[in-house]
Amino acid sequence: MSSPHDYAPHDYAMTVDHLEVEFDTYGGTVHAVRDVSFGLRRGKTLAIVGESGCGKSVTVQALMGLIPMPPGRITRGSAKLGDTELIGLRERTLNRIRGNRIGMIFQDPMTSLNPTMRIGDQIVETLRVHRGMSIREGFKEAERLLDRVRISEAQERARQYPFEFSGGMLQRVMIAVALACSPEVLIADEPTTALDVTIQAQILDLMQALQREEGMSIILITHDLGVVARMADDVAVMYAGQIVETGSVEAIFHRGGHPYTLGLRRATPSNAPGRAQQLEPIAGSPPDLFHPPAGCGYFARCPHAMRICERRMPEPFELTEVSGRADEIRHRARCWLQHAQAPRTEGVNQNDAGREVS
Amino acid sequence: MWRYTVRRLIQGVITVWFIATATFAAMHMVPGDPLGSERATTESIRQNLEARYGLDKPVFPDQYLIFLGNMARGDFGISFTQQNRSVNDIIREAFPVSAQLGVLAVIFAALGGVLLGALTALNRNRLPDVIIMFLVILGISIPSFVFAALGQLAVVRLNDWTGQSLLPVAGWGTFQHMLLPALVLGLGTMAFLTRLMRSSMLEVVNTDYVRTARAKGVPPLRVFWRHQLRNAVLPVITVLGPAIAAITTGGFVVELVFAIPGLGRTFVEAVQQLDYTLIMGTTVFYGAFLVLMVILVDIIYGWVDPRVRLG
Repeated sequence: MSSPHDYAPHDYAMTVDHLEVEFDTYGGTVHAVRDVSFGLRRGKTLAIVGESGCGKSVTVQALMGLIPMPPGRITRGSAKLGDTELIGLRERTLNRIRGNRIGMIFQDPMTSLNPTMRIGDQIVETLRVHRGMSIREGFKEAERLLDRVRISEAQERARQYPFEFSGGMLQRVMIAVALACSPEVLIADEPTTALDVTIQAQILDLMQALQREEGMSIILITHDLGVVARMADDVAVMYAGQIVETGSVEAIFHRGGHPYTLGLRRATPSNAPGRAQQLEPIAGSPPDLFHPPAGCGYFARCPHAMRICERRMPEPFELTEVSGRADEIRHRARCWLQHAQAPRTEGVNQNDAGREVS
Repeated sequence: MWRYTVRRLIQGVITVWFIATATFAAMHMVPGDPLGSERATTESIRQNLEARYGLDKPVFPDQYLIFLGNMARGDFGISFTQQNRSVNDIIREAFPVSAQLGVLAVIFAALGGVLLGALTALNRNRLPDVIIMFLVILGISIPSFVFAALGQLAVVRLNDWTGQSLLPVAGWGTFQHMLLPALVLGLGTMAFLTRLMRSSMLEVVNTDYVRTARAKGVPPLRVFWRHQLRNAVLPVITVLGPAIAAITTGGFVVELVFAIPGLGRTFVEAVQQLDYTLIMGTTVFYGAFLVLMVILVDIIYGWVDPRVRLG
């Protein structure tokens, strides 16, 4: 089994190993996250990409202990923040980490802040809980934080309520809340999905600027490849609860080694010259995660599917790259096409000497 | 906030005027009259009495205008049946009794409803939830006079069993006299509020901002007080106005069963005797009181929810 630790020599802020999450529902048990491993390099941005329901949000919520249990259940795996194991921590211990060493922002800023508390108080709350600040000190600090996320007239704004803010402004407030204790890791779960496009760019720029200033590491959950291209250093592509490909953003965009990654790219609008204007949707739908397939989850939709794909999911293959730089993370894909004996396939970046990592 | 309050008060005055007019009209459409008692009165005595109470004038506009004018000055007139007592005096005497009872009942109902509702929501589908929700169904469907009688019976048995007089069964005077009737009076509303609070709490538990609070590392107890309870209680506050109305009107029955000299009992007796002034006085007074309560609740709501106050 592969483990992100052998990605060395990188310095990881957070590593996740073989994480599995299930949910009990009336229809049976959903295997939402199946054997997910990745590493978040210190000071870098890792984008987790995939379509709705592929388990990307569940993965990060599991790390944060935000999955309601029951019905949720983490059946296996570990997640380490530095040397601290996060999975299985007691609520009390976890509460010293959440909001303090890991900050998190969510998809819909309009509903993610308490409507009956002043903006300033919601920032102060984090500072009081983790830093033991007085309300006075906290409010001063909150104003400073609002200023840092480029909200003007911070003093006045801190005394207002969420309904007096626009969506983009609220997402800035959320970022201020998340950054209040200067966390090592910021988890952003679709931070721009609910915002309109011009505001999206502002929020992304802000996150990048703050990352440079603070040196924090970011896990960015998104289904928008445009956002990935703009923000990410590293990318993990998720499908049907599994990570099917990881690599640097260049590798994923230009030398994709998994048919799903290629499919995602073709389904993304672009105004680059020479590209077909017609979007190509990926035909079919993801597998039923009540009964996850034994083989590759993408088998039914994959244009290059082979017989073995239906029977067994491969461990990741390491892609040897000519242009891969030393400071990039290794490029790996869980696809049989990377096997040394696989037929040559047009469009897919294949290994010459495919070697299953195990 | 001030403009809001003033606007609500003006609306309230119009509502009260409407209630007064409707009561006046209804009163004069009821067959019979307060002077038609079993005792035969001669025509001259009758005319004297009518002149004294202004009943010889046409109902509209004369009597109506006099009634409105007196009411505007806060004078409800003299009782037809209780000798030499003004309606104002009667209300002044009986209302504090009802008010004490009502306030205690509302406190029982609101505290009980909010706490039980939150408790059931947090223990959803577990034993405490199932038991409390079963009792809530009973509380909503059984009328208060049944609870009143059962409560009295229980207290009698309890007193017998312990050989001491723990709680009085009926009457008025001490704080102990208030406990049982207030509980009975508040029970239906408490059950109703429990259900409301439960559903509103269940909604709040799954909101994004509660998730945000947990992601900030806020301890569970603080999440409960600051984030869940405060937001979940908003719909409860909205119905508190009508709930107070339900409790005060429910007071009629409970006051009769427990022999409490409150406004409810006074009102029922006034209706039986067709005491025009007393009926109109108590009705208008009740109406004004309820309107005031609803306005008060709205103002409190604005204080709890900034969107109402500032929006």
